[in-house]
Amino acid sequence: MPIPILERWFVRRPSVDRPPEKDRSHIRVGIPRVLNMWSTHQFWIGFLKALGIQYIVFSSETSEEQYREFGKGRGTVDCCYPVKCMSGHYGELIFGQKKKIDILLSPMIYSLPSFLRGHVVDTVACPRVMAAPENIKSGFLKEGDVFAQQGITYVSPFVSLGQPYLVPKQLYQSLKDVLDLDEEETREAVKAGYEALERFNRKMRAQSRQILTWCAQENRPCIMVLARPYHMDSGIGHEIEVNVQTHGYPILWVQYFPIDDDLMDWLFGQEIRAGRIRSAFDISDVWTSSYSSNTNEILWGAKVAARCPWITCVIRLSSYECGMDQPTYTPTQKIVEATGTLYFKFGDLDATKPTGSIKIREETIVHYVEKYSHQIIRRKRALLPEPCPLL
Amino acid sequence: MKETHRLICGIDVGSTTCKYVLSSSTGDILAQAYERHNTKQAEKVLEFLTQLEREHGFTPRRDRLFFTGSGSGLIAPLVGGRVVQEVVAVAAAVERLHPAVFFVSEIGGEDMKTIFFKGNGQAKNKQVLMQSACSGGTGTFIEKTARKLQIPLEQLSQMRYEGYTLHKISSKCGIFAEADANTLVKAGVPVQEIIASLFEAVVYQNLATLTKGNTPMPEVLLLGGPNMFFVGLQEAWRHHLTKLWAERNISLPAGKAPEDLIHVPDDALYYAARGCVEVGLGEPEDVAVYQGTARLRWWLEEGQYEQKKKEGRKGLWVTLDELQQFKARYNGHLRRVLPQARTSSSLGRVIVGCDFGSTTAKAVCLSPEEELLFSCYALSKGNPIEDAKALFRQLKEAIGDGEILALAITGYGKDLLKDIVGADCAVVETVAHATAGLHFFPDADCICDVGGVDVKIMILKNGTVSDFRLNSQCSSGNGAFLQGVAERFNIPLTEIADKAFQARAMPQLTMGCGVFLQSDIVNQQRKGWQAEEILAGLCAILPLNVWIYAGGLSNLAQVGKKFILQGGTHKNLAVVKSQVDFIKSKVPDAEIVVHPYSGEAGAIGAALVAIDWWKRGGRTRFRGFEVIERLTYKTTTSLETVCHWCPVNCQRTFIDVEIPGGKGRPWSKVPLSEGWERVIVNNSCPKGLVEDLNEMKVIKEELEKTKHAYPNIGEMVRKKAFRRSAA
Repeated sequence: MPIPILERWFVRRPSVDRPPEKDRSHIRVGIPRVLNMWSTHQFWIGFLKALGIQYIVFSSETSEEQYREFGKGRGTVDCCYPVKCMSGHYGELIFGQKKKIDILLSPMIYSLPSFLRGHVVDTVACPRVMAAPENIKSGFLKEGDVFAQQGITYVSPFVSLGQPYLVPKQLYQSLKDVLDLDEEETREAVKAGYEALERFNRKMRAQSRQILTWCAQENRPCIMVLARPYHMDSGIGHEIEVNVQTHGYPILWVQYFPIDDDLMDWLFGQEIRAGRIRSAFDISDVWTSSYSSNTNEILWGAKVAARCPWITCVIRLSSYECGMDQPTYTPTQKIVEATGTLYFKFGDLDATKPTGSIKIREETIVHYVEKYSHQIIRRKRALLPEPCPLL
Repeated sequence: MKETHRLICGIDVGSTTCKYVLSSSTGDILAQAYERHNTKQAEKVLEFLTQLEREHGFTPRRDRLFFTGSGSGLIAPLVGGRVVQEVVAVAAAVERLHPAVFFVSEIGGEDMKTIFFKGNGQAKNKQVLMQSACSGGTGTFIEKTARKLQIPLEQLSQMRYEGYTLHKISSKCGIFAEADANTLVKAGVPVQEIIASLFEAVVYQNLATLTKGNTPMPEVLLLGGPNMFFVGLQEAWRHHLTKLWAERNISLPAGKAPEDLIHVPDDALYYAARGCVEVGLGEPEDVAVYQGTARLRWWLEEGQYEQKKKEGRKGLWVTLDELQQFKARYNGHLRRVLPQARTSSSLGRVIVGCDFGSTTAKAVCLSPEEELLFSCYALSKGNPIEDAKALFRQLKEAIGDGEILALAITGYGKDLLKDIVGADCAVVETVAHATAGLHFFPDADCICDVGGVDVKIMILKNGTVSDFRLNSQCSSGNGAFLQGVAERFNIPLTEIADKAFQARAMPQLTMGCGVFLQSDIVNQQRKGWQAEEILAGLCAILPLNVWIYAGGLSNLAQVGKKFILQGGTHKNLAVVKSQVDFIKSKVPDAEIVVHPYSGEAGAIGAALVAIDWWKRGGRTRFRGFEVIERLTYKTTTSLETVCHWCPVNCQRTFIDVEIPGGKGRPWSKVPLSEGWERVIVNNSCPKGLVEDLNEMKVIKEELEKTKHAYPNIGEMVRKKAFRRSAA
């Protein structure tokens, strides 16, 4: 039986019921496809669409060519490659568009919406990632204002997406002049943004559930990727997990793991009732300083991967010298391996795809997944109660 | 009166040449000269000073002397001179001679620098960027490759950039650039194009790493030997800067073409020395007074040898006792030789593991009880079918009327040969090594394999390889380098360890780039270090290069406690000793073992995987010795077999083997009917194993089908999340 693919979710539908009062259809907005845009994409699309903006363009996925052609020595000093590469994205939006953009929108996202919110200390973004627009912008202002020269308005709203009640005010104040906004329509657009993001996340979780159901019914393994959202960018994560996928293993990402009650209760109910954790999303048993959103989700993902029988292998991705990831290496590995789940780490990723070793590592992973998956599934299944909601 | 006659001399002691500029106390240049020093920096300075005294009346205890350059730190104090930092010196000269210049690139033999000037007049300030840790983008980078191409320096200096087709050459490491150039030569690319591509790589590397958000503004000054001598390099700079200025809408001074704004002064070589004079003119008069050559002579004759002893570290061992203990423990590891064929006619029932490497093919036979019975090897002849025949002939003789229960292959040739010999398991190298390692040392945490051309580090957890580091990108740390140096000293490979243990002291070599390590060695030789001492120094630096530079593992304690060393380079006990000392310095309670069957580990591991397979009920599909011996094949080497994946255009050979059940290749330009399988050889990279676009299409279709059947949430996000209609 094949895994059902939810193809039909991508139908067009209006994001707000009534069209906006002001005509903004001529405004062209460019957004760099970087960092936490990888988990908040649809918020921005929904928000801008609700304001009547038709033309929204994202820079392409990160690549060395992009950095070479558009970054051109505008790079600033930062060892974080996902931040550094952003100058290539800015350059591409400024110089690489057939039709020039009017606005370059590069939000400084202070906190993130997360399904773990309320169960953890906070869901803030990595400070370096949050401040990246300031850092990268300077490379384009150093010797004269490149944005002004190109007739582009640069806007970088500071926004706490983790605290929705703050967002209308933050976006109104930072964008009111550029987009000629009033408070009411901003509030409506923010609401539309959150709804769009929620819809997207729900659909992705539904697809993940389809995969898990298939695994359960066929008794087949799948792989879970533990990484930051921007590792989905083929220039940052280098599509490492795809190499394993092509051997016939479906791939889940922690960000879109299904969080339905039945499944959560199956995986965590025993521990909640034993008083070890307060909820399925409580990670205080493994990570007390749970203030960073992406980090929290990775730690939670490790717990899920350790428990979910059909996840027999975890692929951990991490970028070069990531200070946020550093303290999580040992805990995630120990959590995952506690139930005998396989764990493979690709650390220190940077601009170049490690082609030399990737083929060998791919075959290594596939060998062990093939060899041990059935034992792992059996062992982990025995730790969980009957019945399984996936069967 | 006497004061006004005091002379000022600036001497620049560079990595390849020495330069001096002699000036009057009012700044008029009286004389200048430059000469290559062939690594004899101090001798050349002495020669210069003698000449200056004789011909220009340069007088001790009256005139003043300022030094700059990589060799200045050692020499200046010996003659009373003062050291001026190189960049400060160059900047001083530029400010004096070219007030309109805002960007300077100085490329040296082993380093590169850029200086950005900002503002004007008094407010003028500068930002300096330099790098000297890697050969990419330096003069050595160009010259090393040109030497390989056998282009004399005079000709190189006249070769052009403009108008040639450019090819991709790695701008990162000199050794890889050489390799890239080599493949281009093989592919028949004209040397002119290769050299033009080298100039391109150098300018790109400078602009990419040494601008850091600054735009090189006109006017521009190009300094240093390579910028001055290589016309093509100047052209490459002009090309790129002009393009950059146009793109960034930099307003150029009226009436000047961009080319006129890029200067290469005739006396570019002297700028650092000239800058010393400039700096000197602003210093108090009692500073840097020349003291004559006596101490410099003393140092050349005696002092440097005493210095050497002080500077160097002790040898590879502290006490003879300690060395004896080490040898007693580790010699044993190496002495265990694998049993050869038994005298009895048959080995009985065996499991066979083969390791088809790039230079040798090895095989072992294990009993079902995992006992080692037999090993053999064959040197690779470049045709995997012939290699397989040679290996299986030996196996047949050893096994006699015995039986093969299972067959596994590993190594580079595993995918090519799996179906042809009828192997049951094709085992990836890491798994083979890990399985063999864990078989002999079940509690091992890490396997460190240092071969001739690459370094592999396997970190083991839960009986699997949880992390794997492969370094074939950088020449640092591999065994080929050690061997190369030994050969230069005429020391046979097998004697390196004994020689290295003879050293009672050794030079402290620098970790990192192999290109610079080579020149560092020349410097150490100059200081009087002997061959065995340098070899000891190389053995001592190897662990740093392996673990830190190549492996990127600075926290060894995190890796674990039990380390297995294997690979050809660890046959050298001196390397083992320094590995043991290094690992213990990081992990005091570490246990370090040398794999007893270092060379056969891959084949043994493959055989162990096959035993596991057999025990789980697998029944071999080995085609039998007769079939392998009788394998008929035809080889095709023609225009049709040339690889077109990249401009190198490797001339590949297709070896087509007749095999029952072969799938054939009806879509190929060299069509193959059913009942045949194709093996592709003489490709220089893995891409070449795919025949052409037709095969790529076939493979891609298969992949897409698999990918569609086994979805990847991340890929869905990539495809859908940024669409306006996604949600």
